[in-house]
Amino acid sequence: MIVRQFCDHGTKAFREFLATCRKDPTTPVPRAMLEDDSLTEPLPVSVEVTPRRLVTKADAANYLASVLKPMSIHEVEENAKLWTWLTLFFFDEVCPERAGRRSVKNDYHYVFEPKNSRHFYRHLLFISWRVLRVAGEHNRLFLGSSLSTLDKMTTEVMKRLFLTRIPCMFEVLDRLYWDKDRGKARVGVVSQQVRPGDLRHRLPLRIHQLEKTYDLLSLDADQLIDLLGDEFQQGHQEA
Amino acid sequence: MIKRVNFTGRHRISRDRVQIEVFGGQPRKFNATINLQEINLLPHAAVFLEAMCARSTVIERFECGEVENLRLPQNQPLNVIEGKNVFFTLKVVDRTDRFGRILYIAENIRPKDAGEQTAAGRRGILPIEPKDLGEEVWQLEFMEQDVFLLVNKDVPGLVDRARSDPLFYAAVYPEVVRRVLTKAFEENVEIDDEDDRWPVMWLRFGKGLHPGREDPPTGQDRKDEWEDWIEDVVKAFCETHAVKSKYLAATLGGNGGE
Repeated sequence: MIVRQFCDHGTKAFREFLATCRKDPTTPVPRAMLEDDSLTEPLPVSVEVTPRRLVTKADAANYLASVLKPMSIHEVEENAKLWTWLTLFFFDEVCPERAGRRSVKNDYHYVFEPKNSRHFYRHLLFISWRVLRVAGEHNRLFLGSSLSTLDKMTTEVMKRLFLTRIPCMFEVLDRLYWDKDRGKARVGVVSQQVRPGDLRHRLPLRIHQLEKTYDLLSLDADQLIDLLGDEFQQGHQEA
Repeated sequence: MIKRVNFTGRHRISRDRVQIEVFGGQPRKFNATINLQEINLLPHAAVFLEAMCARSTVIERFECGEVENLRLPQNQPLNVIEGKNVFFTLKVVDRTDRFGRILYIAENIRPKDAGEQTAAGRRGILPIEPKDLGEEVWQLEFMEQDVFLLVNKDVPGLVDRARSDPLFYAAVYPEVVRRVLTKAFEENVEIDDEDDRWPVMWLRFGKGLHPGREDPPTGQDRKDEWEDWIEDVVKAFCETHAVKSKYLAATLGGNGGE
């Protein structure tokens, strides 16, 4: 199918479907909306998508990165109506049926709000694509999880623009927090409880301290890990 | 009185040494002049200009060469930054001894001249930005340098009404003053700091309104005194701007008197 984008009426209608589906989890997905001229409009460039299984965020990120290549990064990042349309197209992947019923979460998981600083990083499809874009090859902490849920690791990092703006940050995160024995993040690094060198509490604080003194955009991962200090070295050495 | 010590080792450069001119268009472009003369700087330290705006997901960064061999941005496109309130940071960065250390910095540099798409000159203490806020009408957003009043972009004319409508003024601004000053206290700054980040500017604003022109209480353990000081300021704000009277005049069409 040729990708389209919702117009304002389309986004409203999609929100109404989400609300209906919350009340009645057996509501059929309104796929006819995808090509309804009164609810959608064409993109400036021609892009095609095909239905497929997207189990993990990595599946979604890799597929969407390839499909959306003809568009500029800026066009993709800002186009709320495109991401919301894509969500309806892949609704079975982002909100799968279990025993004939769907569990619809908050709208911001499905309706993209790029200007809303508390919502933009919670859109399931967008954030998968964005992690791949900003993290590059250092994405395994984030993209291995299920597409239909938002994990703590992703939200704790992607909501903090001052972290994601630092070019070497994702390599640093990978080296500090990936547990190769578990094949996923080290235990406790995003838990409520404050632990030395954790990702959720200590890293953001330490980065805020360092950015007063250092131009973190100039540093490579080795240099930044050195500056972080002893409490962060333990995980680094164990990894 | 809590004394604060600059332990970062970095020094401030006066913003007057950086002049930015932004031109309208798609994309916008800018020229910059940077004067680093008579500052004792490492000749090979790297110079960067960074542009950003409220809620930007990126910093747009421009390499400007070295101190002794500056490359000034001329007709440089702003490809990524979209908001009206664009501000710049100049950094002089050590590339030798302690790699990456900020030696000198000038923050929150506003364009002197700008096209219609960009805010120019000295800003007020509460810049207003239209944003997608869903069903909310307004929000406050606290950034490093500024606090913004965000108003819902889907409400026609709301940016203008936020500046002049007595109904909006009465319903929103006293609470804005209260909330911003409360947050400013948490920042633990002093009004005589050589700084123009929002908490310092708002505390100065509060002192100017306070009936006794009292300095804000210092110390994180004096919450009761803060709250009293803030309430005095909010009351003075409402009296200075005759908030209730203007509200009555606007809603009842009367003269607003008792």
